Amino acid sequence: MRSISAIFVKQARDALKNATIFIQFILFPIMAFVMTEMMAKPDPEIPNSMFAVTFGAMFAGMTPLTLIAMAIAEDKENKSLRFLSMAGVKPHHYLTGITGFVLIACAVVSVLFALIAEFSGMLMIRFVGVLLLGATASAALGATVGIFAKNQQSATALATPLAVMLALVPMMSQFNESVRRIAGVVFTVQMNVIFTNEPTASMAEPLLMICANIVVFVGLFVLAYKKKRLNS
Amino acid sequence: MVRMDNIVKSFGPQTVLSGVTFEAREKQIFGLLGRSGAGKTTIINILTNQLKADSGSHEIGAPPFETGLMLDEDGLFPRLSCIENLDVFATIYKIPRKKALEALQNVELGGSEKKPVNKLSKGMRQRLALARAILHEPKALFLDEPTSGLDPVTAHGIHKLILQLRDRGTTIFLTTHNMEESVKLCDYVALLHGGKIVEQGVPTEVCERHNAMKTMPDMEAVFIKMTGEAAE
Repeated sequence: MRSISAIFVKQARDALKNATIFIQFILFPIMAFVMTEMMAKPDPEIPNSMFAVTFGAMFAGMTPLTLIAMAIAEDKENKSLRFLSMAGVKPHHYLTGITGFVLIACAVVSVLFALIAEFSGMLMIRFVGVLLLGATASAALGATVGIFAKNQQSATALATPLAVMLALVPMMSQFNESVRRIAGVVFTVQMNVIFTNEPTASMAEPLLMICANIVVFVGLFVLAYKKKRLNS
Repeated sequence: MVRMDNIVKSFGPQTVLSGVTFEAREKQIFGLLGRSGAGKTTIINILTNQLKADSGSHEIGAPPFETGLMLDEDGLFPRLSCIENLDVFATIYKIPRKKALEALQNVELGGSEKKPVNKLSKGMRQRLALARAILHEPKALFLDEPTSGLDPVTAHGIHKLILQLRDRGTTIFLTTHNMEESVKLCDYVALLHGGKIVEQGVPTEVCERHNAMKTMPDMEAVFIKMTGEAAE
């Protein structure tokens, strides 16, 4: 537990001092807020929640993936992992600390999105819950990328196209039937399905699909970890 | 305390260590000498279980959490301050912050505790890495070329600290290709060449055996006398 909290605090301090990471946490909510105030609220045809929901889903799909991949790759590249391992920090403690911080920060930002969308009560809980499930899938994928990447540069090169694809696929699938059929298995598309359906509609199928994504990504991570190890 | 018995290690077709045997006794400074690329770091990696030997056995008479490590790659978290870097390990080792501040004082970084690591000079980074290595008062300390690339005053400060640690009962295993440093610091030395220990013993005895006792002008002492008062 001490190791996890040490890594959690280290990651929190680092995020506050790392402009690249800090911007990722504030950029999406700021964009959602500005567009809601400037475009959605003056136009009665645009729902007030539209931009918060869109940017929220993009945030959950992109941010944990890139942040976790970069954090792991940087600690590997700087050889910090080696010193942590010598101090008795187990790989699962390290990963729990890093992922824990990113998911808690994502939860805070998700609440901001819910406030911008003017959700309250059960609607807010549902929205934040779905964003966090999406963030968990994204985090598992990020950890896999972090394990494969030799350094920060290769982590960025791997994570950025994946993150952009995850963010854009829901939008693309709205315009193209073939993309919609294929991309239906991607968690960001299923998040979009939940958010665009009526709040009273059943969420069972899309939630199942998101959970299946998490299972697949965790499986991929386990395979990657067995092959490459954290400190290789 | 630190023992290697007939260790063999190859990387692909290249045999780096071919039957390395030595023993470093408790509470002494053991110097492993050799040219760059001789396999000194490989020996530290094997001793600290970061690398597996192909055959042979090795042992450190202390568990991993009672060993300290300082390598040429310092593994510090670059955006965190000096004290925040030590805080990570103080939390892991369950050591109060007061001790972390003391460790910084010991390496003459007392006034720089809030300075980010990426703003430190190479010498200051080396000293911080040493503070991290001795933070938990380890029984065995591994130092891989601890003064490489440092100016004589900073190197002198680190030498003083290494001797103090030995006097307090720490067993120190250091690698160096600086022969003067080995004579000044080590109680026992072993020369690594061609993957084997080709000579070992007390430094003066080794030099006597090879008719290599000489007196020569000591420019380093002059340099320290003229410029190093502040570091004393």
